Amino acid sequence: MTDVPVSRLRNFCIIAHIDHGKSTLADRLLQDTGTVSGRDMQDQFLDNMDLERERGITIKLQAARMNYKASDGEEYVLNLIDTPGHVDFSYEVSRSLQACEGALLVVDASQGVEAQTLANVYLALENDLEIIPVLNKIDLPGAEPEKIKHEIEQIIGLDSSKAISCSAKTGLGITEILQAVVDRIPPPTDSPGQATKALIFDSYYDSYRGVIVYFRLISGVINVKDKVLLMASKKSYELDEIGVMAPEQLRVDELHAGEVGYLAASIKAVADARVGDTITLLNSPAEDPLPGYKEAKPMVFCGLFPTDADQYPDLREALDKLQLSDAALKYEPETSSAMGFGFRCGFLGLLHMEIVQERLEREYDLDLIVTAPSVIYKVNMMDGEILMIDNPAILPDPQKRESIEEPYVRMEIYAPNDYNGTLMGLCQERRGDFLDMKYITTDRVTLIYEIPLGEVVTDFFDQMKSRTKGYASMEYHLIGYRPNDLVRLDVLINSEKADPLTTIVHRDKAYGVGKGLVEKLKELIPRQQFKIPLQASIGSRIIASESISAMRKDVLAKCYGGDISRKKKLLQKQAKGKKRMKAMGKVDVPQEAFMAVLKLDQ
Amino acid sequence: MSDFCPHSPPRSAYLHIPFCFRRCFYCDFVVVPLGDKANGAIGPGSESIKAYLKLLHREISVSEKGPPLSTVYIGGGTPSLLSSTQISDLIEHLRRHFGFQDGSELTLEVDPGSFNEQGLDLYIDCGINRFSLGAQSFDDYFLEQIGRKHRFKNLAESCFLLDQAYKKKNISSWSLDLIQNLPGQSFSSWEKQLSQAIETSAPHLSIYDLSIEPGTVFAWREKRGELDLPKEDLAMEISRATVSMLKRAGFGRYEISNFAFPGHASRHNRVYWSGAGWWGFGQGATSSPWGQRLARPKTRDLYRSWVEFQEIHGPDPSLQASNAKKIAFDEQLIVGLRSREGVDLEALAKANGCNSAQRVAYLQPLKSRWQAFVEEGLLIRSGKRFRLSDPQGFEITNQVLVEMLLWWDSLPNDAVLLPNSRVPL
Repeated sequence: MTDVPVSRLRNFCIIAHIDHGKSTLADRLLQDTGTVSGRDMQDQFLDNMDLERERGITIKLQAARMNYKASDGEEYVLNLIDTPGHVDFSYEVSRSLQACEGALLVVDASQGVEAQTLANVYLALENDLEIIPVLNKIDLPGAEPEKIKHEIEQIIGLDSSKAISCSAKTGLGITEILQAVVDRIPPPTDSPGQATKALIFDSYYDSYRGVIVYFRLISGVINVKDKVLLMASKKSYELDEIGVMAPEQLRVDELHAGEVGYLAASIKAVADARVGDTITLLNSPAEDPLPGYKEAKPMVFCGLFPTDADQYPDLREALDKLQLSDAALKYEPETSSAMGFGFRCGFLGLLHMEIVQERLEREYDLDLIVTAPSVIYKVNMMDGEILMIDNPAILPDPQKRESIEEPYVRMEIYAPNDYNGTLMGLCQERRGDFLDMKYITTDRVTLIYEIPLGEVVTDFFDQMKSRTKGYASMEYHLIGYRPNDLVRLDVLINSEKADPLTTIVHRDKAYGVGKGLVEKLKELIPRQQFKIPLQASIGSRIIASESISAMRKDVLAKCYGGDISRKKKLLQKQAKGKKRMKAMGKVDVPQEAFMAVLKLDQ
Repeated sequence: MSDFCPHSPPRSAYLHIPFCFRRCFYCDFVVVPLGDKANGAIGPGSESIKAYLKLLHREISVSEKGPPLSTVYIGGGTPSLLSSTQISDLIEHLRRHFGFQDGSELTLEVDPGSFNEQGLDLYIDCGINRFSLGAQSFDDYFLEQIGRKHRFKNLAESCFLLDQAYKKKNISSWSLDLIQNLPGQSFSSWEKQLSQAIETSAPHLSIYDLSIEPGTVFAWREKRGELDLPKEDLAMEISRATVSMLKRAGFGRYEISNFAFPGHASRHNRVYWSGAGWWGFGQGATSSPWGQRLARPKTRDLYRSWVEFQEIHGPDPSLQASNAKKIAFDEQLIVGLRSREGVDLEALAKANGCNSAQRVAYLQPLKSRWQAFVEEGLLIRSGKRFRLSDPQGFEITNQVLVEMLLWWDSLPNDAVLLPNSRVPL
């Protein structure tokens, strides 16, 4: 391991929109610096989880240390800190930016700047990071580097005369990038004699060593013999090991200010070593923690129920385990008369929710029913009490409540101006209040809306993408609660209230949603031996109804000696479908039905 | 009828004759269409038939021996494309190899119009004592629509000849196959056809709902939206009419699609639904002599290689008594519930090696899963047996079987009831 003075350290990250080639570029940097040999190279080296590779997105960030001999003949240590690229994880992005002095802004040379990139660049600028614009995918026929450079200057106000054109795929421009990191990104500030402060920018759970914490040492020194104190969680630990990521973890005895490293200290859960917390030494602690720590708060909630009630203990165990590695995941037991025992879970956003669901099913082999996502409503009761409700089914009766408030976000949608009309239509359907429209270039525009989060966590993103052929991107943040005329819409299946299908909607939309919902359920719930009435109601008033006619005939005409194998396969297929359904009273309801409210043609 | 004895040797044999004039639009069987001019020992395709029969004889020769047969079924395809001598040779070969029990049932599938009085007598002289006539429909419009070669006139003649033979006691029984719920079918046209079928005096009727099988002409026509299949309500009316009309005419429904006068149920087919074993011979044929099903290769070349392989190495392991296995319990229920008698769970579990405590432990969850069907009168519990009610229960057989498969899937891996391998759902 090269030990270099602070002046030859560079800490940087890559800011890019999904698909703009961040992971490929990271791979290429690791390869060209000889950090990872071509033989060991797996595509998208930094994306560890299978899920990340499959979806091509970064969920958990990672870091890698590279040695690079620059043109001045000196050996430099470059720490690349990977950042997640999705709006659900923006807090984690902000922490990783704080751990750096510079950033590569990677923009697809044919696609241009996107909303999420923009949001992260602004974050980086706020953190005083040196930003190096990089135009990627320059080898593609549609590349328009001059136009995109112009866009970067116009939109972000960055001098792009020194932007580097590259192709992470072919390797073009990689040396220039590495040299620019050395030349243009400042080294960390040296801080001799100051108390030890290190910023946690990531952590993950390792079943053998406990939580592995990734940190950036802002000041002071950490030695493997030290006892450390985590300032927010107020917990102290003896260190088992410290080291650097090369990119495999490599133990060292000591790390100095400016360096990026990891530690293991038999920490039981990531909740004890949260991203943003400050590490200091127990014996000579810093006076103040680093600024900006906040706990990631879930914004989206849903019910998770095992299809098979016997799997409830397994689900609990799986959630316990997942939480060890995912501090943002919240859950508490939920019991529903219709669904039995399950959990109410909180997530950062829809992607986070999908990831957790998929991990539970894939890694823990559970069959789950996931109910439609909800946000937290603030209910002002007649008696002055204020309730925070994350489950529509438990919204108190109208007589008892004074008003309901719902969370609003400020949303920026970024798209070619051809789609203005359709996007404004979408936002209006979703009860958005128009704030502003800004032309960023002559043909690209930002639409700014204030819109209820409850309308965003449905199929908003999918709708936005499909209505703009994928060209639009969006970014949002919470701005507070606002009262609205909201009602609780219940669904009755076979005359029994189906709690998990209860939703909170604006009164003006209740009729349309109710009608759409029962129609959709009629499509999604398979016929059974009896007729099934479907109703949507507000309080005791039925506002829409449908019914599923009884299954009258389900029989195989022939079954002789030669038919048995094939007929059995057909029956098994049918049984498999049924196994994935949840019995609500006498009715078998498939998973898709619980998400019906997301699939209405509004 | 015993519910199944896993180790008693097979008493039945199926012979597959894969030749046809043409492939009908609904058919997905292993068949070799020879053209409308094919005709027994002299017409087009006769060389192909001869070559095939040589292979079939070779397959019978390499088979293990077994006790005398009680039923033989020569099906296809169109076995009446074979000359009486060819049929006779096959029967004689089976007689030499296995022998026949007294009163054994020998069925031959025949196409309407493919035999005359003399031809029929020759088949009877070979020992055939039961005929199954592939009528499918009495209406020329529908016969045309489903790609059949024969017409009503041929069907009427054949029925007359079979009825004569039956009345003269030259044969012990005969049967008609019909398909209901064909594209474009109306209730009145079906009623008329069924009446015509009853008027033929056939003592046995097989009435199948049309099912669209992958790879058939009907499958792609349906995909293109060209099939005007009866809507569910009409289809139900038609099926219900079948059941009530046949009941009134004195038929008993002894299986979902099979109706017979007392004493005329097909003994051969009941073997399949009872879970007992059977020999199978011929290209594409399935056998299950000792509890393991084996489907033969579907093409001539592969079938030939398969026969040759056995001539050198001996019979396939599944065809050897020394490898006898129990038929999986779930499959016994799948076939058993199709019959009027239904199934005796306790007896089946016992035959599968369960003691009384195990029987309670394993079967109780199945019974609770079935309870809703029992309460709705779809499944009837009489004495030790469970059977589907007629017609409501039969109509939703799959629902009952799906519950059973879910139960099967939920059994602990070490359950005595389970066979060596169980495919999880």
